[in-house]
Amino acid sequence: MIGKIIRKESKEIIRDDRFKISLFIVVSLLIVAIFVSSNQYKNTNIQYEEAKTKERANWDSQGEKTPHSAAHYGTYAFKPKYPLSLIDQGVDKYTGVSVFLEAHKRNEAEYSAAADQTGLSRFGELTPDFVLLYIFPLIIILISYNTFTKEKEGGTIALLKSQGIRNWKLTLGKWIASLLPVVVLATILFGIAGILLSNLSDYGEFSWISLFALYSVFIVYYMVFTSITLLISSLAKKSGIALVISLTVWFLGCFAAPKIASNLADLKYPYPTRQEFTENVEYEKKKGLDGHNPWSEEAKLLEKKVLKEYGVDSLHQLPFNFSAYRMQKGEEHQAEIYKKHYEILKEQFKNQKGIYQSIAVISPFLPVRFLSMSIANTNYQTHWDFADAAENYRIDTQLYLNDNHAKNSKYQDWGYKANSDTWKNLPAFEYSPPILSDVLNDNTSIIIMLLFWLGISSGALFLSTKNL
Amino acid sequence: MFLYNFKYELKLLIRNKWIQVLSVIIIINMLFAGYNGKQKVDKRNADIENITNKVSQEDQLMLLQLDSIKQGHTVNLSKWRVPTSPMAVGNYHPRVAAMQPHDMAFVAIGQSDLFTHYTRPKVVDNSLTIKHTEMTSPVQLLFGSFDLAFVVIYLLPLIIIAFTYNILSQEKESGSLRLLASQPLSIRNWVLQKVILRFFWLVLITILVLTVVFVINEFSFSENLGAFVSCIILVVAYMMFWFALAFAINLFGKSSAKNAMSLLGLWIVFVLLIPAIMGQLSSSFYPIPSRTKMLNEMRALKAETTKKQDKILDNFLRDHPEYASKDDQGKTSFWHRYMASQRIINDELSLLQDKYDGQLRKQHELIQQFQYTSPAIIVQQSLNAMAGTSSTNYEDYRNQVASFAQQWQDFFIPLLYKNKEFTKEQYADFPKFTYQSEAEVTITTKIAVLVLFTLLITMIGWGAFRLNAKKGLVILS
Repeated sequence: MIGKIIRKESKEIIRDDRFKISLFIVVSLLIVAIFVSSNQYKNTNIQYEEAKTKERANWDSQGEKTPHSAAHYGTYAFKPKYPLSLIDQGVDKYTGVSVFLEAHKRNEAEYSAAADQTGLSRFGELTPDFVLLYIFPLIIILISYNTFTKEKEGGTIALLKSQGIRNWKLTLGKWIASLLPVVVLATILFGIAGILLSNLSDYGEFSWISLFALYSVFIVYYMVFTSITLLISSLAKKSGIALVISLTVWFLGCFAAPKIASNLADLKYPYPTRQEFTENVEYEKKKGLDGHNPWSEEAKLLEKKVLKEYGVDSLHQLPFNFSAYRMQKGEEHQAEIYKKHYEILKEQFKNQKGIYQSIAVISPFLPVRFLSMSIANTNYQTHWDFADAAENYRIDTQLYLNDNHAKNSKYQDWGYKANSDTWKNLPAFEYSPPILSDVLNDNTSIIIMLLFWLGISSGALFLSTKNL
Repeated sequence: MFLYNFKYELKLLIRNKWIQVLSVIIIINMLFAGYNGKQKVDKRNADIENITNKVSQEDQLMLLQLDSIKQGHTVNLSKWRVPTSPMAVGNYHPRVAAMQPHDMAFVAIGQSDLFTHYTRPKVVDNSLTIKHTEMTSPVQLLFGSFDLAFVVIYLLPLIIIAFTYNILSQEKESGSLRLLASQPLSIRNWVLQKVILRFFWLVLITILVLTVVFVINEFSFSENLGAFVSCIILVVAYMMFWFALAFAINLFGKSSAKNAMSLLGLWIVFVLLIPAIMGQLSSSFYPIPSRTKMLNEMRALKAETTKKQDKILDNFLRDHPEYASKDDQGKTSFWHRYMASQRIINDELSLLQDKYDGQLRKQHELIQQFQYTSPAIIVQQSLNAMAGTSSTNYEDYRNQVASFAQQWQDFFIPLLYKNKEFTKEQYADFPKFTYQSEAEVTITTKIAVLVLFTLLITMIGWGAFRLNAKKGLVILS
């Protein structure tokens, strides 16, 4: 019986002009979106590889130089694009792509694409995630808002009942039929993306499992939307009203709720301005050990401590260059300050995330949004992760350079020049994004939220259709 | 008959629960958006005020220190921070270059969440080293703000659609259209009258709420009445466009559900798809120059110049200003050479930077043309411009800051090169930064285009109606 219902409903959907038109529009949008995104993905990665190689060449060919000069000359860490960004661009547009790594300072990632674009780009771009997150749910609404109302309006509900069909079977049949078209489209899209990505394997590691995880998230999202639409249709008396209510839910969930959440998050847990942040850091730096300042109290304390440790009475007698040693200690101290202030920032975002999660109670869009960009490694967390990795690399680089200076020269010898091979021996910056199992572990509460939505919406649907 | 009908319709409209609900939705959303705008503007003002106060406190301290030095006391400061050195003042006592919010900043958040609203350029800074992007959480940037612009662009059309999708079809579906048709009244005029009545009702509510929002935001109507009026005209023109669409769709004479569907389809096309497609087209046809490439070129240039510079400069001194005082030539010698060599580097780098910025500007100008493909884009761009939060405003601010940084440098460099000390008297001559906001925004072209859209659509509706009328489909079908 369920099979028959699915067949009947599907036939009806396929014969419907609405479906044909929207299918045509969506498919053409998707083709454009995939084409554009994959092009962008390829270009970005070519640029990334090129930038990385060139920057490393700059670093390697510094010639003979004082290590600390090299530290000031610095180097760059570039952020690559990951394969699944082809499907979900996440916050990539809003995060910087390059971090300048220099002595004494942790720099923010620079050059986010959004900062170079006009206000037009704030409308959203034609990317697969735009279609998957906003348009597909709309298609579900369009093809199923009148699933139950049409039976009521046409009086066919009585006929159906007289056939002796159980209500839950009827509902399940209609549910599957409403979901099917979007699932087919999504499957094709993810299939194409998978094939494209496995052919582009020179960039990043593409995993089918991650793709499948992403696919599952979206399928659950569509299940939730189908249940909600059918629920509304079963409760409403007229098709027009069912349509308007479903669309209100869509608008509220996909547009209004995220914006309201973002406003509340900013109001309750604001970030410091860039200037405030810098000034707070500078203020603390001024109080502590500065490798460039041998006269400060902290520097004198360090001197005493080291002299005592080595049992000598002059810095000249130390087996290493104390100036470089002090530089390294200063560096470590400053790194601590940065770490502390970035921790505050992270804490603040954690609080903000709490707000997003509580707003997710009225919007199934939010958990999907967060989960999808997490799996695609285009979320904020991955950006933090990258920035932290770059910072660790910066700290290691400073240690390597200061150690070289300390070991190979005497106290106050700033004229020492490290030989030209020194730079090549520094390992290159490597970064790989968090793996899928870690991502899923980090997002258990969001996954639970999404499953909660699935449970509630489908449960409510089957309850409300008990007595049609 | 016309007047009679009008009275009847008005009563119906006011008593209609659906319309009351929609009106309340508009009021709540606009007030909430206005409140959000106020929060953001207040925060922006508070940030600027905080920093200005902090700087003036620091200034007082610096002046006191200058006094003590003059009287022969020693001050408890690191050697390179003593304010008799012009470079110390230029670096450790920079001014605040703030971008105060425009009077209408609460209307549209625009690009304001991306960029900082004040900065303090030091004497060693230049357009390349001053950072303008704000530390906002990217998630917040992704979702955007619930501001007045969002309510007007996204929500208002939806409400108009809900207001009007079944004007004709409802009468047809309930059978009252046949009754109406027996009266001496043209159906077309009758629909027009209903649409206009709803239009005025909605416009009235919108203007009222907008005025309240403006009042809440302490907008000074006496000074900026013009800006307020153009904002209202813009919003009304946008509403007119959507009413015209609704009118045309109604005249096509399809069922209520079909009307709703078509209007929503159009909403998706104008508000979601065209902007997204235009965004994509603009970045495909006129791609933004790659910043990583620019970075590579800059680094190569810098490496090259640094090598040249090594010949001039002692490696040691370049990175260690604090040791410069031990140099025999006196303590200014380091800065002399540093500033000189920085200039060489920056001159070369800014050529490259200008090339990129020029390319970017060209792209932005071209995108400006794309706005005329959808009323939603026109309204977004105009509201951003009125609020002073468009990308042009920020570019403008960046340029002003860059030239102020130059002024700041020019103030200290002569002192440096003449080996003069900084004195209390010079404090009064400090260059001051005042943000010059652009001249008034003209929206005549934009309004004209919106009206053109409206006329075109009305004509299409009219044509369709005449075609249907000829076939006798209006009342029967």
